[in-house]
This record gives sequence, structure tokens and C-alpha cells, in this order.
Amino acid sequence: MISFIGKNDLKIRQDILRGVYEQNLSMLRRGRPALRWRGHPLLKRILLSAVVCVFAVLMHGQYNDSSFAPAEPTANINMSPAPFPAAVTPVMTEYPPLPGADVSSAGTPNIFEFSPFLNSQNVSFSRMLGLKIKTIMIDPGHGGAATGTIGKMGTMEKEITLDIAKRLKTHLIKTGRYHVLMTREDDSTVTLQKRVALTREAKADLFISIHLNYLPRKPNIIETYYFGPSTDEKTLKLAQKENAGSEYGLSDFKEVMERLGKTLKLQESKEFAESIQANLFLNSRKHSEDIQNHGVKRAPFVVLLGVDVPAVLAEVSCLSNSEEERELGSENHRENIASYLAAGIFDYLNKGALTHEAKR
Amino acid sequence: MKPKDEQKQENVLFVGIDLGTSRSAISSSHGIREWVESYVGWPKDFIAERVVGKPVLFGAEALEHRLSLDFCRPLERGIIKEGIESSERAVKEIIRHLIDLAKPDPGQKIHAVVGVPADSLKVNKLAIRRAVAEYVHTLMVVSEPFAIAYGMNLLNDALIIDIGAGTIDLCIMHGTIPSEEDQRTILTAGDYIDEQLFNYLIEKYPNSKCNKNMVRQFKEKFSFVGDVPEPIRVELPVNGKPIMHDIKDEIRRACESMMPSLLETMTEMIARFDPEFHVKIKNNIVLAGGGSHIRGIAEYLQEALKEYGTCKVTCVADPLFAGADGALKLGQDMPSKYWETL
Repeated sequence: MISFIGKNDLKIRQDILRGVYEQNLSMLRRGRPALRWRGHPLLKRILLSAVVCVFAVLMHGQYNDSSFAPAEPTANINMSPAPFPAAVTPVMTEYPPLPGADVSSAGTPNIFEFSPFLNSQNVSFSRMLGLKIKTIMIDPGHGGAATGTIGKMGTMEKEITLDIAKRLKTHLIKTGRYHVLMTREDDSTVTLQKRVALTREAKADLFISIHLNYLPRKPNIIETYYFGPSTDEKTLKLAQKENAGSEYGLSDFKEVMERLGKTLKLQESKEFAESIQANLFLNSRKHSEDIQNHGVKRAPFVVLLGVDVPAVLAEVSCLSNSEEERELGSENHRENIASYLAAGIFDYLNKGALTHEAKR
Repeated sequence: MKPKDEQKQENVLFVGIDLGTSRSAISSSHGIREWVESYVGWPKDFIAERVVGKPVLFGAEALEHRLSLDFCRPLERGIIKEGIESSERAVKEIIRHLIDLAKPDPGQKIHAVVGVPADSLKVNKLAIRRAVAEYVHTLMVVSEPFAIAYGMNLLNDALIIDIGAGTIDLCIMHGTIPSEEDQRTILTAGDYIDEQLFNYLIEKYPNSKCNKNMVRQFKEKFSFVGDVPEPIRVELPVNGKPIMHDIKDEIRRACESMMPSLLETMTEMIARFDPEFHVKIKNNIVLAGGGSHIRGIAEYLQEALKEYGTCKVTCVADPLFAGADGALKLGQDMPSKYWETL
């Protein structure tokens, strides 16, 4: 009991008790204002205006970035931290204050005070908000009746993607830090709509879809996609192929298109895609000189649009390349690909810096 | 700050609650200690309610009638699934049930300290407060390993590892309230062992029938790491006929499957500290939670950490109540002026 412990221990104990009290008090204080703000329309209006401004700025930047131009490789593979998208480097002078936010009034919050927050080059929006990844959904492309592409020797895309997905799951689970789920665990047909629904139901924080390319007369090509518009004919054809079997109706599509407004998702998806692509390419090149980096691209894959969290579709290999098809038959090669994907995920989760060497 | 200060003269009941993924426990200042498995079930319809005879069931009783119930394990994977009504409702029911078990006098003031998995403390602070506040007068929430450390007087240079069902929570104590960086959570815990064991058994004995509940019971009864001399034989039905199966290897593989991430996290956490304190911390590693019952676990960790120098790993004497007892002690030591303002 407290009366039998030394003076130093008593001091430690007192400090700890005060710490527990202060922690709980701050917890209470953080919880209460949300209720009290209802009575302060001015504060509410200012906050709303600021949020709208931030959103407008972010969206403007986003479409400056995309401008519906043909997809270009954007992966930064020179081992430097991934560049922050233009979405968070706005020219603030272009944005006059919105009505309702009295920026000239002394003592009231000024939306331009958000500029350091938005201009940060190194920290993503979600990390500033302290958002964490707990659940990861892995989506092995195709399955069941949908075989995906088939190599000249009969290798089916659905089998390879499932095997790599299972290996990736093992890598992620081993860390003990994530709850890892798969949209299919066996050779079953799962519609794109179902894949999206599973991801939403699981409240997944991160989504990665694994596919194989089929590009006749091309070397082995690795590329990673996140959702976005594209005018590149090849990319659109690929999207058409990967979207086949989607059970979405036009009305669903209209609804999900509204999700484009989710800047956070786009920003994070791009960063995630860059990390996956860089790890896949750099590590794969150690084994094969012929491999080509087609970088990070935007494409309108339905499965990426439907999920609400950072989502990428990785074309991890190219089944049309006979040598690569032979390699994919080896367990070792599939394990390598899974470990590169895992390294890409860990890098993305570790602040996007390219630091994680793929481990076997 | 004496336990006899004014607050004790009032009609106050202090309770320490350990809200765990698998089991929740309560210790009260008038000596009652109770626990319940953290399962809650509500009858699916009025027929089910007539069959089970209660509007809500807990623990083993809920498990037994799970087919008739809307069944919920609210702290699965160490956090309350906020926004999912049944999870928050289930936490409330568990708290209400535990406080009923503590038998407070009518109208008696209750000061509660609730220990929760470290991740839950990070992400569910307000949900926990909402769930508990209805049944107590004042409340403090702390992380589970910290409550254990406080109860055992491990306030300085110690690593506490609470091996639960949903999570393993690690907490380094260094003479102050642990910050988020001093606490880590990994998800390869008791439930992960169940999952692995289930898969290994299905793989080895494809014709046998077993379910997750049976597997959990095997784990709780036989779990070990390293080696044990005796064979482990259990009865599993094959085509309806009970057959004895040897599952020793599968139990070992499943239990040892959580060790790599645990060892990696332990070494990472220790390495973060000033090297001068490494030796002290390594010689003061304490295992708590249901996972500390795994036979040979302390020796296994000691052996695995040998390459980093000597270390001493011990297990708490009473894993079921270590958290609740620590939370109770913290509540009783807390000066009344602090309670008054919360």
C-alpha cells in the first residue's frame, strides 16, 4: 500500500495519478465541445466556411493535377519520398474568402491560416488527421467462371492472383498489426459489386486488387492504378476488361461518381499506388532486367471507385510474356511478388518514404 | 492521498473493471471479485426469449444458447466497433451486469476505473465513456497493461505484456503515465491462435468435425510453447463416431505462431529506450492476460531473447483479476479532489 513505499515511489505514484486524471479530463473536454457548439452559430458558420474552403482548394488542386489528361506514369522511383500531389499545394491567392467567412475581422479564424497545413510537402492529409489503418482487404482478381487472362501454357490469371493474395495475407498477418481479409479465399465467382460490398461491410481501411496484364508482343510490364479519369485508349480497354461482369447499374454509377469528391481517398490512393509500384518494380528488376515500369496511372476501374478507402489495382505481372508465365509457375516467384506488395503496403503505411526492403 | 481520506468516509463504492475481448472482470472495494466471458446475446424473437427465459444473456450462458440469440462479442480485435449499435449496446450490458455482480448498496456512489485494450483507449475513448457513464457516478478509463502495472507496483523500468484474445498489449513503464509511444498493440493474440489451430486440425484431420468453440477449449486446456512431455489427445467426431486424435504438434505450431510478432515488437520497444535502461527493462518483463497461461511461454521468450543479453520474464499470479485489481487500486489511490472534478 501507499504508506509502505519509498518517498521516490510515492512521488512517481502521485505523478502517475495526476497524469491519469489529466488524461481523462482532456478526454472529457474533447468530448464535450461537440455538443456545446450547437449553440454558437458564428463559430459553426466560420468552421463550415473553413471546411468548404479547404475542400474547394483541395478539389481545385486535384483537377489541376488530373485535367483529364492521358494517363502518365507518375511513380517516383528515385528512392526519394513520393512527391505530394498538387492537391495540397494550392496558390492561396487565387481563392478569395467565401461569403460567410469574415476573414477581415480581427480575432476570427482566417482560412489562410490553413495554408501551412495544406502546403505540407511531407505529410499526407490523413496522417495529419492521425487516421490509422487497421483492416486491409485484398482482392484477388477474377475467380470462378471469370478466369481472367490465360497464358499460352494455360496459366490462368484467377489462380495466380489468388495464390499471390494468400501469400500477401500471410505477410501482413505476421506483423500482428492488421486485420486482413480477402474478397475471395477460393476459386469462386465474386462480382465486382460483391467485392465492393465486402470491403465496405468489413470497414476496411485499405484495398488492394491484384491482377495480371496481358499485352501481346510486349515485355513484362508492371503498372499500378488508382481510380481516376483517363483518355488513354489502352487504359480504357483494360478498364473495360477488368470491369466486365460488374453488376452496377447506371444509377449506381451516378451515385458512386459522387464519391469522386473524396479528395482524401484520391490523394491517399495515389500515394499508395506509388508505393506499391515502386516496390514491385524496383524489387522485380533485381531478378529480371527486361521488366518495364509503366508507373502509376489513373483508370476508371469500377472496383476502385466503389470502395471508400485508399484503393489500388496492381497489374503485378504480364501473362502474355511466355518467360514470365513460366516464372509465375514457380512458387518462389509468386512469393517474391507477394513480398514486394507487402513491402509496398508497409512503405505506404510508414509515411510513404521508400524505406522498406522486401524481406523473404 | 491516503486511502483513508475524506472520500472513504462517504458512501462510495470503488470498482476496477477489466473490459477484455474474451473475459471481463470486476473487483470492488468491499471485496467482491467477479468475472464474465465478454459475450452478450439477445433472444432473436419472442419464442427464443421464452426458451432462454431472459432478455439478455452473458458469457457461457450466451455461448450455450447462441443459436437462439443475436450474439455479440463487442470487443473483438480489441476495439468497440463504433457506429454498430449492437457493439455499444453489448458493452453497456456487460458493464451493467458486472456492476450488478458487485452488489452496490441502493443509491451508493460508484467511482469506477475501467481498463480497456490499449487500441480501444486510443480510438474508443468516448464510446467507452458513453457505455459506462450510465451506471457509475464518476469514471476514469486507462489502458489494460497500465492498470496491471499499477496494481503490481511496476511503475518504473518494466515491460508489461497483456496477452488477450483479441490483442496483445505491450506497455513500457518508466516512472510516468505511459504515452501512446510507450504502448503497442498487436493483433496476433488468442483468437489468432484459435484460427491457426482450427486450420491445422482441418488440414491434418480432414474427415473430423470440429468448430471454433471446440478449438478454443483445446487451446485453453492444452496450450504450450517449446515442449511438453505428454501427448495431447482429444476426441473429435469422424462420421459421427468419436475418435481420439493427437493434436500436440498442432497446438505447439498454433501457439508458437504468435511468437515472431511478439518478439519483434518487444525488441523494438526495448530498443527505443536509452540503452542504459535496457538491462533493467529486460529483467522486468511481466506477462499477464489469458495468454500468460500458455505453458512454457516465459521460458520461451527468455530463450528467444537470449541473444540480446539476459532477461527475466515472469507471469502474474492471477491473470484473470490482475487488471481489475490494478484498476481498483488506482481508483482507491486517486485523490478525492480528482474524482470530484470528473
